[in-house]
Amino acid sequence: MRGVYLMGGYPDEKKFREACDCAVSSGFDFIEIGIPFNDPLADGPVITAAAYASLAGGATPESIVTGIETLRGTAGLYVMTYSNIIYGYGPGRFSERLSGVINGVILADLPNRMSGVLRGMGLEIPIVPFATLETRPSDLDAINKSASDIVYFVGLRGITGADARIFTDELIGKVDMIKKGSDKKIILGFGIKTGEDASRALEICDGFVVGTEAVRRQGDASRLGDYLSSLVS
Amino acid sequence: MRNDSGFYGEFGGQFVPETLIPALDRLEESFREFCADRKSLAELKELFEKYAGRPTPVYHAKNISKKYGMNIYLKREDLLHTGAHKINNTIGQALLARRMGKKRIIAETGAGQHGVASATAAASLGFACTVYMGKTDADRQLLNVKKMKFLGSEVNIVDSGMGTLKDAVSAALKDWVASFNTTHYLIGSAVGPHPFPEIVAYFQSVIGTESRAQFGEMGMPPDVVVACVGGGSNAIGIFQGFLDSDARIIGVEAGGRSLNSGDNSATLSLGRKGVFQGSLSYLLENGSLQVEEVHSVSAGLDYPGVGPQHSYLKDSGRVEYRYAFDAQALAACRELTRMEGIIPALESSHALAYVFENSGEFAGKNVLVNLSGRGDKDFEIIDRHLLEDK
Ligand SMILES: Cc1ncc(COP(=O)(O)O)c(C=O)c1O
Repeated sequence: MRGVYLMGGYPDEKKFREACDCAVSSGFDFIEIGIPFNDPLADGPVITAAAYASLAGGATPESIVTGIETLRGTAGLYVMTYSNIIYGYGPGRFSERLSGVINGVILADLPNRMSGVLRGMGLEIPIVPFATLETRPSDLDAINKSASDIVYFVGLRGITGADARIFTDELIGKVDMIKKGSDKKIILGFGIKTGEDASRALEICDGFVVGTEAVRRQGDASRLGDYLSSLVS
Repeated sequence: MRNDSGFYGEFGGQFVPETLIPALDRLEESFREFCADRKSLAELKELFEKYAGRPTPVYHAKNISKKYGMNIYLKREDLLHTGAHKINNTIGQALLARRMGKKRIIAETGAGQHGVASATAAASLGFACTVYMGKTDADRQLLNVKKMKFLGSEVNIVDSGMGTLKDAVSAALKDWVASFNTTHYLIGSAVGPHPFPEIVAYFQSVIGTESRAQFGEMGMPPDVVVACVGGGSNAIGIFQGFLDSDARIIGVEAGGRSLNSGDNSATLSLGRKGVFQGSLSYLLENGSLQVEEVHSVSAGLDYPGVGPQHSYLKDSGRVEYRYAFDAQALAACRELTRMEGIIPALESSHALAYVFENSGEFAGKNVLVNLSGRGDKDFEIIDRHLLEDK
């Protein structure tokens, strides 16, 4: 499974839509759509700048949710954002709008043990659980309890866009542990940059998602298309 | 107040990336061990007394008391080493960091007081230290930037957002997500994910415990306890000594230039509930759920969030939260200086301002104000504003 993270409303609504179409025509299976939040504590400078630009262009959670509805059926869809957006929008209202449209929500500041808080407030869309280099055997239970069919593996210690070697023995060992303890599909996020990374990820895990390097090119559909195609070979 | 998953009522929790969860668990475990370890507590006490200068006195400020028709008592945290209550927490957390075997400390700072206190604890206990500080704050608290560097800390100026405390906390959290194996995040207020609010409140509770005992010796309880609230550490510190008493308890936030959004940092008076920098609490946000860019003349109060314990105490009704405007705080700062010969920090001046401005409510009462810090660091701002006033 190949996935791409794109910032909703960036650089504007039309170009965001073109970027989504481009992801689909490049052979990607799913799109993670960012709803911008202006305190993105898991994001590096590229995605942070895109979030700020999207907001400066007038994007709101409402406008992005509306945009997502029009993407229904084009690809697998996930929303990736921060807890405050879902909390403030209203977990129930968010579910009413996007149940059946998106496959899940990925909340960068909602660790697995806190997911019950938003579920308790009426979030009916599956919350994608995380695995990390720190995941302990005792954490598998929380991962398995999730209604999501994927687990998002944060491949490095750091924020999005960080420069780090990701395919370490440590990572391979952790992925192995999770495979043995869970039947969710493991999607590797954070740190995928090149076609080689993408192929490696597909060997080791069930899929990957590319973020920073796609967002960097999000304003120009033809550059984005070339780049995404280079990850599908 | 707190349940097992780190919530105070509906407030608190651990809203941080999954990667940090084991580090938070380790921190909590270490904190529980610390609290149960007599040797550690003895060391903390020793450092509080011989290094930081505890206990701090409660001073009956007779001149302002007379002018305002009440008895005003000042808890003199301004007399502590480095000039503010922040040192209580940095010594405590530095001992925790040592217990966990960390080699490096990172901290955020607004006014620079917590940065200086962190740099001080790091120098004395032998840690490398990096302090994150917003650019706006670094410009307005230049003396503290110089002090941190002189103490041997690295100061990383954060140029994103408004360049204030919020941006510094974000930058510190981003550092920590990559560095937690070797680094302790020495958070400076009663904010962030569990167990930080509890840890900070614990180390600051010495303010309240001492005050309660000091009033006990005087043979009378305070009728009113007042403290300024930025993230809420000095306030929760003193409040804890009186939550189970009959005292009226008041937290004072920054009313800034006005009550218009963006002009103040009065989170508890004007905010909504939201999830910000690790916890669910009151938050100043706009209609699109984005964190508001806020303002206060005092860098230490210039923060759109607030610690979860205060949100809980607000909703439970035990504590009242009010605000004082920039100009009122500046006037109170001058008043205390001229009448008592004590130059208070602009943060603490907000607590004083509320008392002075509303003296009618407190006629004849014993009012305890937490003088959380001294105003040396604010001198350029004080100078500029008081000159402008003339
Ligand atoms: C003297 C003083 N008082 C109060 C504060 C506000 O912080 P808190 O609300 O955590 O006490 C600061 C913060 O920098 C400070 O320096």
